[in-house]
Amino acid sequence: MKSFALGRYVPLDSLIHRMDPRAKIMAMILLLIGIFIPAGFIGYAVIGVLICAGVIIAKLSLDFIWRSMKPMLFMLVFLLIINLLVIKTGTLLATIWVFTIYSGAIMQTLYIVVRLMLMIVITTLLTATTKPLEMTLGIEDLLKPFVRFKVPAHEIAMMISIALRFIPTLIEETERIMRAQQSRGVDLQEGKIKEKIMAVLSLIVPLFISAFQRAEDLANAMEARGYNPGWKRTRYKKLTMQSRDWGLLMVCCLLDVALIGIAVL
Amino acid sequence: MPIQFEKVSHHYNAGTQFAYVALDEIDLTLKEGKVTAIIGATGSGKTTLVQHLNALLLPTSGKVTVLDRVIDSAEKPKKLKELRKKVGLVFQFPEYQLFEETIEKDICFGPKNFGVSEQEAKKRAHEVIRLVGLDESFLQKSPLDLSGGQKRRVAIAGILAMDPDVLVLDEPTAGLDPQGAQQMMSLFMNLNKKLKKTVLMVTHDMEHVLNYCDEVVVVRDGKIVTHVEVREFFKDTTLLNELHILPPSVIQFREMLNDKGFKLDSSIMDIKTLAKAIAKEVKR
Ligand SMILES: Nc1ncnc2c1ncn2[C@@H]1O[C@H](COP(=O)(O)OP(=O)(O)OP(=O)(O)O)[C@@H](O)[C@H]1O
Ligand SMILES: [Mg+2]
Repeated sequence: MKSFALGRYVPLDSLIHRMDPRAKIMAMILLLIGIFIPAGFIGYAVIGVLICAGVIIAKLSLDFIWRSMKPMLFMLVFLLIINLLVIKTGTLLATIWVFTIYSGAIMQTLYIVVRLMLMIVITTLLTATTKPLEMTLGIEDLLKPFVRFKVPAHEIAMMISIALRFIPTLIEETERIMRAQQSRGVDLQEGKIKEKIMAVLSLIVPLFISAFQRAEDLANAMEARGYNPGWKRTRYKKLTMQSRDWGLLMVCCLLDVALIGIAVL
Repeated sequence: MPIQFEKVSHHYNAGTQFAYVALDEIDLTLKEGKVTAIIGATGSGKTTLVQHLNALLLPTSGKVTVLDRVIDSAEKPKKLKELRKKVGLVFQFPEYQLFEETIEKDICFGPKNFGVSEQEAKKRAHEVIRLVGLDESFLQKSPLDLSGGQKRRVAIAGILAMDPDVLVLDEPTAGLDPQGAQQMMSLFMNLNKKLKKTVLMVTHDMEHVLNYCDEVVVVRDGKIVTHVEVREFFKDTTLLNELHILPPSVIQFREMLNDKGFKLDSSIMDIKTLAKAIAKEVKR
């Protein structure tokens, strides 16, 4: 849990860290769209170069990127095996016992793996360089136009920021309850199935109780201080788009256009 | 066999940029059958220290000996359950660990995990619930319907039901009313005097330290500042000042009188003797 990198903010000072969160979120969406434009490996190479530049500008270490990809490795391997066994197009490459491997399978799998890896790096670039609070401000602003369609932009942003705020608290709480039950003889490693179920129950029930308790306390504390989501509020921190932010959006738009060009030609 | 720490360090999040040295090469020997208080400011490492006693936390370096078990940082420990049966640890705010439908089941949870039969566990539940000052009608209630203080008592009962040889209490009276706190303290004293259990207690209450404990361990920034007998500790007013510890009110009162010209002996630490000594001075 300590080396968990996926989705974690890395407090550094870089050009990307200082950019407007709205621009970064939009750029992420544009890049993700770019990945789904069928421009072949040339397209992925172009996106890849751009992302690498982003990682370097953001001063993120390769080690960090690698660690944020780690949790997905299992899924990648799983996909690889399933694909290799199921897809039967292209030329026959090898036969191992009853399994046959075709060239099409390898190409398809590579496609998926590259796509997933690009997606992970793109989202990591956003989450690692944007403070959770800035992120929610950005999301709220981007959702503003949809308010007239009854999208509760402010409420969604508030919910996200509260959820983000409580993730570390809940992790800590879990560790604490785990230790408390361990000292009452709960054995999380060994034991029979029935004991294991009991062990999990002894964690989950207190965790839920305390989470609900916390939620109630927080709601009361907010109400006591006069919080009302419907009211017009001013903001301490105002977001302003600067030329570098527009620049980022331009680059991403151009990339998408170029990819569409490659795909059509 | 005593409880012994030899050059024990504990680092949280070792090897990351969030690494933090919570214990720094601690040496400490605690005698069996004593009541020892562990005091120190918030964040000084008290909880970290006591959680080593039943191997909930393992030393980053050094060696911990508890009863007949040795926990060495160099080797991976096995069969920790046996140790945890002998060392009962009541957490800071233990009320969060309750989870069964009834209080009876929750108290039986610990003993049953350690292989006590259902019948025996229930019998113990009936004993300990009264020990902690609640009556037996509580046993069939849900632990979630209790007040904070009552939950605390049930959680303590759950540890007592395991019948450990060493009882480790992390701020057991925080948040209890003064009478409830006193009740709990005398319960622990009884367990110590009658059943010869070793008691180790983290506390911020100097009155409790003076009135109930035999020895004091002071922790500061992950290091042991001093480990002495309680009366020795409160005699050393310069050390108390240096550690920013406000002594118990008896001692504060005595010192104030001494400032005003009284000549009261620094070994006086209870109200009765103090009253007698004052009377003697006044008559003189
Ligand atoms: N799980 C953890 N991860 C990282 N650091 C921790 C963790 N638990 C405690 N610490 C740090 O270790 C130090 C000692 O913590 P500890 O809980 O032992 O203090 P304490 O003396 O029990 O304080 P209190 O009187 O508030 O209970 C603190 O500075 C704390 O920030
Ligand atoms: Mg503590």
